Amino acid sequence: MGAGLEKLAALREDPYAPARSWKERTGGKVIGYFCSLAPEEMIHAAGALPVRISGENRVISKSGAHLQSYCCSLARTGLDMALEGELSFLDGTVFVHTCDTMQRLSDIWRLNAGFVFHGDVVLPVRFEGDLARDYEVKELSYFKERLEEYLGDIPDDALAESIKTYNRNRSLLSEIYGLRLENPGVLSSVDALTLAHSSALMEKSEHNTFLEEVLEELKSTGPADGSKVRLFGVGSLMDQWDFLGMLEAVGATMVDDDFCNGRRYFDALTPEDLAPVEAVAARLWERESCPCKHLTKRDRAARLLDRIRRSDARGAFFFLFKFCEPHGFDYPYLKAAFDKAGIPSLLLEIEQGSVSIEQLRTRVEALVETIKI
Amino acid sequence: MPVAGVDIGSLTAKAVVMDGNEMIARSLIPTGHNSREAGRRALELALEEAGLKESEVDAVVATGYGRLAVDFEAERVTEITCHARGAHFMHPDTRTVIDLGGQDSKAIAIDERGKVLDFVMNDKCSAGTGRFLEVMAHALEIELDDMGELSLGSKSPASISSVCTVFAESEVVSRVAEGASKVDIVAGIHQAIASRVYAMAARIPIETKILMTGGVARNIGVVRALEAKFSREICVPEMPQHTGALGASVIAREKAAAAV
Repeated sequence: MGAGLEKLAALREDPYAPARSWKERTGGKVIGYFCSLAPEEMIHAAGALPVRISGENRVISKSGAHLQSYCCSLARTGLDMALEGELSFLDGTVFVHTCDTMQRLSDIWRLNAGFVFHGDVVLPVRFEGDLARDYEVKELSYFKERLEEYLGDIPDDALAESIKTYNRNRSLLSEIYGLRLENPGVLSSVDALTLAHSSALMEKSEHNTFLEEVLEELKSTGPADGSKVRLFGVGSLMDQWDFLGMLEAVGATMVDDDFCNGRRYFDALTPEDLAPVEAVAARLWERESCPCKHLTKRDRAARLLDRIRRSDARGAFFFLFKFCEPHGFDYPYLKAAFDKAGIPSLLLEIEQGSVSIEQLRTRVEALVETIKI
Repeated sequence: MPVAGVDIGSLTAKAVVMDGNEMIARSLIPTGHNSREAGRRALELALEEAGLKESEVDAVVATGYGRLAVDFEAERVTEITCHARGAHFMHPDTRTVIDLGGQDSKAIAIDERGKVLDFVMNDKCSAGTGRFLEVMAHALEIELDDMGELSLGSKSPASISSVCTVFAESEVVSRVAEGASKVDIVAGIHQAIASRVYAMAARIPIETKILMTGGVARNIGVVRALEAKFSREICVPEMPQHTGALGASVIAREKAAAAV
């Protein structure tokens, strides 16, 4: 493991270290967000640092008074961190209306977490039709105005510059994922996902430097162990590094994924030939979607199966947060499509803070045995 | 060339010794707190019955949750694969296996060769497992082994709506206080288990023949309740608790043959 990768790997333990030191160094504002559909480039162009908040493995204490036990652990542990003062490096937070929990969490957060800036981005439920597109651009323009009131003007050329920096990051991650498809042994599943996940935790141009270094290193690495069973991961956010380590230990590797801190985070580039706000809108529209945005004209199962085929994965695992409604609703339909296509799959439901790796190991091993025998 | 399979479950450890196509010995002991020791002891007992020394066995496969803990030389295979193979060995026309063990329950869809097609397992909750029945037997002050026969006499099973072991126990206590008979309560408990297992198993294709394995298969009340729920006959093998160990020994036999 090179020095760059080692530094990024350390963020698995202390994800907000870069945000805290950036704030100390620059005196700038840090804006947190939960959903990867947040228009990060706008926050970046305003000179602030966008940082993804994704909860953590912990037993909650204070958030239990605000959220029912059937809310996902992302919401419950994330709010708990805020109420415990552990996110005090944040100056504000942005919520994208995706699921009901996130919509309600936004208001509970606004009323209880005590950050100066609070933004809501209410994107269309379906990214389809002219009306929805007009609305999306207007909503993003309105959000930009709200940001400007707090952070100061966001000139078009600054936004265009941020878009370039972000696109560079997306291209680099895409290239690294591509190298792994060819030669998965070159980088473990844990490290590959760490590269994408860490992108949302630090200043983008700084992350680009890390990625460039890692990419150079990977390019000079020869063919690595290719004997592991190739699997495809599906879900919202994957932050269970021990699970991915176990996956490798039982002879499997995640060659590609549909996680919003993995492939979906860097999927699609923001067009650089459109007016900047329209460009941001265009990418969110085109980007591979999670079940929060159901698209009648895009068959999610067919798209996932196509990526499974292209990644030469022999099986798939659904890694879902308990009580995650959108992903839970989509599961039976995806499972039926995977079965029909002959892709063996496994459903794993977890909650941050109570993941039992040993129980999951038996299931994963059984899937691997099913594929191998 | 004799081979052995050892299945270390949460409540019991089982071993099976096979020679050729025949099972020649088997053992079953409580797992206790030390699964490594239990696995070793189960293997020793089965070997003793077979009149063999450990060195005379060509291959051993360990399975069950204690499979990683064993200290004898053995290949490790999950209980899901082993149950599938064991079920197929006993009844080759089996396409669905329902295994209700000490602390977990699972449903496995298998093909005509005994290969796993799909499976589901209970999560962290022990409702519908042997442990659940143990708690209920204790609450009702009856013997675990008597529950099955007892429940068959019920004309109106009590309603047990909770699927949580802890809450179901208090529900059972409430039913006793309301004056429900033990017979009806036990029948209600079996129905609650059947509903829960059915809901889990519905996630995989249920083909014609269901084979039920694991310690709970010895409870005829649960078997009947499951038959009613699935609307099909459920076959219980002669030694349901040994299915995993048997499957492990079938795999061991293949490994030994491949090594020659």
